[in-house]
Amino acid sequence: MDKPKTYVGVNNEINGGMTTIGKIIRDGWVFGLIEETETCEGWNLAGIDSLLQKVNDEWDKYGCLVRFLPPELRERHQRIHDKAIQNAKTAGWSGEHETDGEDE
Amino acid sequence: MAKVYDAGVKDYRETYWMPDYSPLETDILACFKITPQDGVPREEVAAAVAAESSTGTWTTVWTDLLTDLDHYKGRCYAIEDVPGDDTCFYAFIAYPIDLFEEGSVVNIMTSLVGNVFGFKALRALRLEDIRFPIAYVMTCNGPPQGIQLERDILNKYGRPLLGCTIKPKLGLSAKNYGRACYEGLRGGLDFTKDDENVNSQPFMRWRARFDFVQEAIEKAEAETGERKGHYLNVTAPTSDEMMKRAEYAKEIGSPIIMHDYITGGWTANTQLAQWCQDNGMLLHIHRAMHAVLDRNPHHGIHFRVLTKILRLSGGDHLHSGTVVGKLEGDRDATLGWIDIMRDSFIKEDRSRGIFFDQDWGAMPGVIPVASGGIHVWHMPALVNIFGDDSCLQFGGGTLGHPWGNAAGAAANRVAVEACVEARNMGRELEKEGKDILQSAAKHSPELAIAMETWKEIKFEFDTVDKIDVAHK
Repeated sequence: MDKPKTYVGVNNEINGGMTTIGKIIRDGWVFGLIEETETCEGWNLAGIDSLLQKVNDEWDKYGCLVRFLPPELRERHQRIHDKAIQNAKTAGWSGEHETDGEDE
Repeated sequence: MAKVYDAGVKDYRETYWMPDYSPLETDILACFKITPQDGVPREEVAAAVAAESSTGTWTTVWTDLLTDLDHYKGRCYAIEDVPGDDTCFYAFIAYPIDLFEEGSVVNIMTSLVGNVFGFKALRALRLEDIRFPIAYVMTCNGPPQGIQLERDILNKYGRPLLGCTIKPKLGLSAKNYGRACYEGLRGGLDFTKDDENVNSQPFMRWRARFDFVQEAIEKAEAETGERKGHYLNVTAPTSDEMMKRAEYAKEIGSPIIMHDYITGGWTANTQLAQWCQDNGMLLHIHRAMHAVLDRNPHHGIHFRVLTKILRLSGGDHLHSGTVVGKLEGDRDATLGWIDIMRDSFIKEDRSRGIFFDQDWGAMPGVIPVASGGIHVWHMPALVNIFGDDSCLQFGGGTLGHPWGNAAGAAANRVAVEACVEARNMGRELEKEGKDILQSAAKHSPELAIAMETWKEIKFEFDTVDKIDVAHK
């Protein structure tokens, strides 16, 4: 099967959206880089990569850690990510997926 | 009528079975688990193994008169039952030290696990353990820096080191890869690591990876005030190319490089380890391909032997298995080879699969690396089992954190520090682990989320290779 040229959108992702790209999009919402209604469906990889660079620039201001976020961003982060975890679990995701196929 | 094994002109046992022999302090001793072909007497097949792993092939070429056979031959001096398994037995063989080139694990293994493994009198053969005499140990270079010097270089004491294997992501670009390293290191890891099969593929050539990763290390060091590192995998198609990559890693300021010591080969590994020692570099060793050799309980080479080979050849870290987690291994056997990595003297202890006393003298130790299939809930057990002189590597247990890489790293750092503090206060980690982690999570939202992510998981796989007493 050919790899799709465009992104399926965070709402249609595998693992209920608990993926690398899903995390980038949610952080994009947290930092106000894209609207919370933007699922990035139909974006190409360059678009996602561009968003990633912007997200990285934002995280760099806060040492990459939630505890350094100002209260408003911290609250938004918690709201968005709590909901994402809940949705992913409902879709059948669990942490077990993350430790499959590891080296030893 | 079925064809029966026949030694040929003269039975091996007449020359190589010597039950009255007392091994010398300088002898190299080996314990083989032998599964003979039907109808072959134990003494004969054990003597054949002694012959074919020492001078047996010489005599057919040179004749006994031209070779000082009595001096150089391997001597099978004991045979024992394998507990719980009557299909095989242990044979103990002593080899004179002069049979081997000094400082060459390659030469030793070419004899001990060479042609003999295809010998027709055997159905299966496994090298269970080797005793290297101190006289031979002192001819080997060993680990480039050793545990104490590594701690001094890193300025990190009193806790296990933390690492994470970075999986290629988002189009596999070197820049994004470097970013993932930075996030892990910024979040609290000491090391990140190349995947063992990341060398210099078209999707990410080594030089670009090294440059972006080093930039990540320097940024993380500047922001945290801690020394950081990334195991830059210098494994390459030729040893010249491997050395070129190692030289470049040193040139850009990396404190540590990495080698796949089994697939890369022991000649290359010994060369690299000696270079690391000369150049103040740490050397992380991955064991890719080990299971091909060590997983079958009746055939191959036990990992405790591969551990000893690495300590002699040289490496500062070696993947050891995790005991707990998805890649669970036998606890007693793992503790046995962890001691072989770190201690100066290890007593014979059959309950942990150790067949011989092993004296390493002043040779530095190797840090065991517990990696794969583990997460924060395993931290209390890991700290208890592995102690401080270890490296705990959470790959998916870091990168799989729902908040991202830095949060995953922070969760693991908080967890390991909480466990070490509790242990130092006299608390029982494996018994009180849940309370310890829950208390720490009150002050770390990253840890709280990690505990919520992984708490449901149960790992219940049986181990394939167990201590022999547990068979049947």
